[in-house]
Amino acid sequence: MSALPEVARWSTASDPHRTRRQELAQAWLAFRTAAKLGFQIEANWADPLPFLIYAVIKPVFGALMLVFMLEIISGGAADQSFRAFIVIGSALWSFVVGGIAGFALSVLEDRERYRMLKYLYVSPNAILTVLLGRGFWRLGIGGFGAAVTLILGVVALGVPFDVARIDWLLLALGMALGLLSIIALGMLLAAVAMQTRQDSWQYPEAVAGAIFLVVGAVFPLAVLPGVVQVVGLITPLTWWLEMVRRALFPDITSAIGGPGSLYTELTGRAAPGSAEGIIVLLGTTALVTLASLWVFRWSELRAKEKGLFDLITGS
Amino acid sequence: MTAAPSRSPYVHRPSLSPQDAAEWPARRVLVTNLRTIWGRAYPRVIGMMREPSWLFFEILLPFLTTSAFVFVYRALAAPPEYVGFVVLGGAMTAFWLNVMWLMAAQLYWEKDEGNLELYFAAPISMMSVLLGMAIGGLLMSCFRAAVVLLVGAVLYGVVFAVDQWFLLLAVFFLTLTALYGLGMVLATLFLLWGREAWHMTQLLQEPVYFVSGLNFPVARLGVLGAAAISVIPLAVGLDAMRQLAFVGSPETEGALPPEVEALILIAMAVFFIALARFLLGVIERMARQEGKLTMRGS
Repeated sequence: MSALPEVARWSTASDPHRTRRQELAQAWLAFRTAAKLGFQIEANWADPLPFLIYAVIKPVFGALMLVFMLEIISGGAADQSFRAFIVIGSALWSFVVGGIAGFALSVLEDRERYRMLKYLYVSPNAILTVLLGRGFWRLGIGGFGAAVTLILGVVALGVPFDVARIDWLLLALGMALGLLSIIALGMLLAAVAMQTRQDSWQYPEAVAGAIFLVVGAVFPLAVLPGVVQVVGLITPLTWWLEMVRRALFPDITSAIGGPGSLYTELTGRAAPGSAEGIIVLLGTTALVTLASLWVFRWSELRAKEKGLFDLITGS
Repeated sequence: MTAAPSRSPYVHRPSLSPQDAAEWPARRVLVTNLRTIWGRAYPRVIGMMREPSWLFFEILLPFLTTSAFVFVYRALAAPPEYVGFVVLGGAMTAFWLNVMWLMAAQLYWEKDEGNLELYFAAPISMMSVLLGMAIGGLLMSCFRAAVVLLVGAVLYGVVFAVDQWFLLLAVFFLTLTALYGLGMVLATLFLLWGREAWHMTQLLQEPVYFVSGLNFPVARLGVLGAAAISVIPLAVGLDAMRQLAFVGSPETEGALPPEVEALILIAMAVFFIALARFLLGVIERMARQEGKLTMRGS
């Protein structure tokens, strides 16, 4: 008979002698369960139609606001290329808002509202895996919002689009690395949320809004001061947006290069090439991911030491 | 010898509400409600002092978001007044966010934290509780708005041209009054709608920014703008303030004269506060009669 207590024999998660394969299977189970729970929390408060409207209304109105600003200034004669630039950047930003918010808000919800974070933490699963699962659907909802905004942009706002011209490889690589960097940023913010009080509900949106300024989501970096352009160039999201834009719309204006931009000044080229973009995206994503893992571990240890997992605040 | 039965100090008397049961003179009612306002504002004010991270996350970062729209206009080579519109809109979003997050969704969160039943059981007015929340949150919002206005004006060279300071200030305070009245109405509705409170807050944000003409004159939206002006205090207030803060600019195209918009704001303030009073009475009755409104997890 095994010397392990009953609860330990019930699951391999707490077995210190488990194999690597059992470990992975347990992590997958934890991720799947957390993702299922996340989906139910996100989606079962309304019928499918109101929920779908909820999922798309924010990115759609965000894009409409920018397009309307463009139309006012241009007097209705806006450059098609710049309109496409704005719509795509605004649509893709929906991933960032959903992705960044998903993980941080999961910490706040599980700690402050459902008061389950302490139990999740002592369960034999890595808290990081659980949070990844919980935040997964917010990222998915963000993706859905982005897709609908893009479709609306093409159908209703006259964004030129040709399926035959999509660079699928660039799109796949760009999206994979971009999503990884969004998850890393989300983890960074989850680490911050572990340390802060209940009223940090708006922090993710504030962070996303601040990053919005430096990544050339809706205007080229060239209009920013040089120092801010440097920040933009070392942010993976800048390169993600550039690569995805180029994959979907090959003739689109570059956010990174162009007259007056720091990139063009330094390299002498009008815009970065696809291979160059992917390499820089890979490098910056790796840096952000490593940094966020380190910060998350530090935050986790500090939260454990200071008893922050069962902290409930109110104001 | 048998001991005389001990007499309870409590006397049963049927009453309509804790306020009615308290049988207090008007002065004590007033003092208690004033203490309620301070008591509810206190944790917000103290919370701000204890957690300075909000200075970074709720002042600096939102300023950067506002800056993003400034650079959109710069990229489009827009007239300088538009940069001013963005800065003014960015300042006013602080109040809208405060109303939505720290007031409209708050009663629902109070229920989750278990405080709501205490509010309903106490001999105080729910409007005092909500007013306390508003005042507590207002400090942070005012600070954020002031930073956006001052730093925005200095950094982006926004030049305000004001002729009627008194009217501008009156419009600002009327906008806040109407907004917080609307916040009280939404607080009761969000409580009744249960879990949807959080999502409704999210749902309203971008559409309200768009139809309120946060970054451009609302009159440019045509019928949609006119509809917004008749319903959303932020839309009317912003339109009036834009006209009053950039006098003489050809870009400042108001939907209505600012004096008329001030009257609309007065009507809105009266309407929303009266409606909030009525709805708060309804939910207080529901809480006592049905006993379900304060149940967590519903």
